[in-house]
Amino acid sequence: MNLQLDKPWQDALEQVKTWARVNSPWLIHFNSGSCNGCDIEILATLAPRYDLERLGVKLKGSPRHADVLVCTGPVTRQARDRLLRIYEQMHEPKFVVAVGSCALSGGVFQDCYNVLGGIDQVLPVSAYVPGCPARPEAIIDGVVKLLTSLVEKPVPAAPEPSADGRGR
Amino acid sequence: MNTTQQAERFTIPIGPQHPALKEPGHFALTVDGEIVTSASVRLGYVHRGIEKAVEERTWVQNLYLLERVCGICSHIHATAYCLGVEQLAGVTAPPRAQAIREVVAELERIHSHMLWFGVAAHEAGFDTLFMYSWRDRETVMNLLEGLTGNRVNYSANVLGGVKFDIDSAQADAILSGLDFLEKRTHHYLDVVSTDLVFLRRTRGIGVMTRQQAEVLGAVGPTARASGVERDIRVEAPYAGYSEYPVSIVMDTTGDLEARFEVRIKELFESYRVIRRILRDTLPPGDLTTRVPRRIKENETVIRVEAPRGELFYFMKSNGTDMPERIRVRTPTICNMTSVIRLTVGHQLADVPMILVGIDPCFSCNDRTAVIQDSCGNRQHWTWEKLRQYGIEFYR
Amino acid sequence: MNTEATLHLATKMVSEWATETQVSEPNRVDGLMATSEDLLNAVMMLRVKRLGYLAAITGIDLGLEAGEFEVLYHFCAGPVVITLRIRTPRETPSVPSLSHYIPSAEPFERELSEMFGVAVVGIPNPERLYLPDDWPEGVYPLRKDFERSALNEERDHEYDTTG
Repeated sequence: MNLQLDKPWQDALEQVKTWARVNSPWLIHFNSGSCNGCDIEILATLAPRYDLERLGVKLKGSPRHADVLVCTGPVTRQARDRLLRIYEQMHEPKFVVAVGSCALSGGVFQDCYNVLGGIDQVLPVSAYVPGCPARPEAIIDGVVKLLTSLVEKPVPAAPEPSADGRGR
Repeated sequence: MNTTQQAERFTIPIGPQHPALKEPGHFALTVDGEIVTSASVRLGYVHRGIEKAVEERTWVQNLYLLERVCGICSHIHATAYCLGVEQLAGVTAPPRAQAIREVVAELERIHSHMLWFGVAAHEAGFDTLFMYSWRDRETVMNLLEGLTGNRVNYSANVLGGVKFDIDSAQADAILSGLDFLEKRTHHYLDVVSTDLVFLRRTRGIGVMTRQQAEVLGAVGPTARASGVERDIRVEAPYAGYSEYPVSIVMDTTGDLEARFEVRIKELFESYRVIRRILRDTLPPGDLTTRVPRRIKENETVIRVEAPRGELFYFMKSNGTDMPERIRVRTPTICNMTSVIRLTVGHQLADVPMILVGIDPCFSCNDRTAVIQDSCGNRQHWTWEKLRQYGIEFYR
Repeated sequence: MNTEATLHLATKMVSEWATETQVSEPNRVDGLMATSEDLLNAVMMLRVKRLGYLAAITGIDLGLEAGEFEVLYHFCAGPVVITLRIRTPRETPSVPSLSHYIPSAEPFERELSEMFGVAVVGIPNPERLYLPDDWPEGVYPLRKDFERSALNEERDHEYDTTG
């Protein structure tokens, strides 16, 4: 049977999916070698003062329940495999938010022997949140920008993980 | 083969992804039924190679690197480093700077203990307490931001002194913030010592005797809760602590409840000493003294009291503008040995609380633990599962 | 006991076993040990007299020309820091393990051995502590002749799904 669905029906379905993703993104957090500065600011973002949950964001413990991987740290060699494994366990569509200078480029730990230098050395990153550490306001801004981009653009197809493990 | 006659043992690797603690670690626990029979830790997830990196950066650059060993205790690392460089160079920062260093260090201790308290409450399943304590912690974050310009990684220190002064408006803001925090801290002390549900998870759990604490090399509040008198601020005062001393806070029971109470009571000491410094008015004078770019050949040892315990720096200079060697020994590694021993003989459900009781800072130490099952049975548990297990067990 | 008295006592004890004893700072005494036996005897004496606890172990690479490593054992007694130092040749560096007498020495000794390649004789658990599982053997990061190029080979990487 040839499933040629009518375009309007498909569009509507896509809109509903986007609405659900944008209004209730579930996060998983991973520390790939960070000093914890960014991690405690992420936790503070979920605490009463900044309250990320009012945006529909929920922090989950399992990658299988999450849409967005919020990642800190300059990616140490030991953490790399675990980071990849978590990413693989997430279902499509999935997004990665790199939080803090270390996650962007390695930060002060660039060129350290055990550090790969930035999340985008390993995974495709959708949003970068700078700061050392990134302030809760910046983290919220980053998440909001990511969600806004989902509304404005269709969800991109996930890139194939390349043979050398680099997500680009 | 009669399987009921064989003790069933499970290996439960936990981590390295911690929903609660936000720090990677891999603990392996071997359990015989409910009881932990052996435990070990595997670290390495946060190992960044800092001791090597410092040899390739100048003395000034290293200040910014060493501040980021740990986001929770960044100021104390920077203070230890600056005191070390000043000692190597044979200079002393002015008294006003030392007093300001002490004020920021105690504010950091407050934020760190409140952070820990919230995380510990979360481990116990007491999320309301976690949210309240982190809301109250925002008060001290505001004070730190108002004083230093940043909520975390305050960068208060420069080689030879501090970057900023405390004026009377800031002092007033700090004092009124402390009044609020003190009221809330009384409430938390009350909860910790009287809430029956909480006490079931802490009283009599994870007992470490004084002798064990000494033999296992415990430091900080973990040691003080077992009656070991170790507090660098008291036994070897540094920065402003000779002028503005603190009293040592101790307990003798050595269980988790004692560790909670010691940390909360230390908060009162922090409030007291900050008030004293700000009300007595700071010593007059400069904020910095000159430190040469090249430090003559020398060696020194610096010990300071981080929120988690003794922080030990050994520093060696070689006449150039880069260090020869800096050894950073952080407190959690000392306490980690003790916690591994303590889990043995306890129930699996107690493991999250015992671990959190030492206030582990993985980025200071980066360790993981793994447990081996003698029958080769392995179960993969996430930390979240172990935490939930503990909560359900005590329900 | 005040700082001076502790320092005096520590200096006396250390100099019984050290070839060179130096009071390097107002609160520090350093003793250079000639042999492993001297080191162990000094450590046992400190334990028996209950003077100080082992606070840290530091390894230093004295350089390719000097051809030696130095290992420092720092014991803290109140404000006084007692450091026992021992040198060991670069080609075959080795020190005795203290872990049997002092359990808290274990993580320090593991770190010393993986960072410098110093063999710690008799250590109960010789596993790596900080370095990753796939770190190449024989590459010791804190040595002065550590080359980062030893790590730069393209990793033949299979995703590790076994945990």
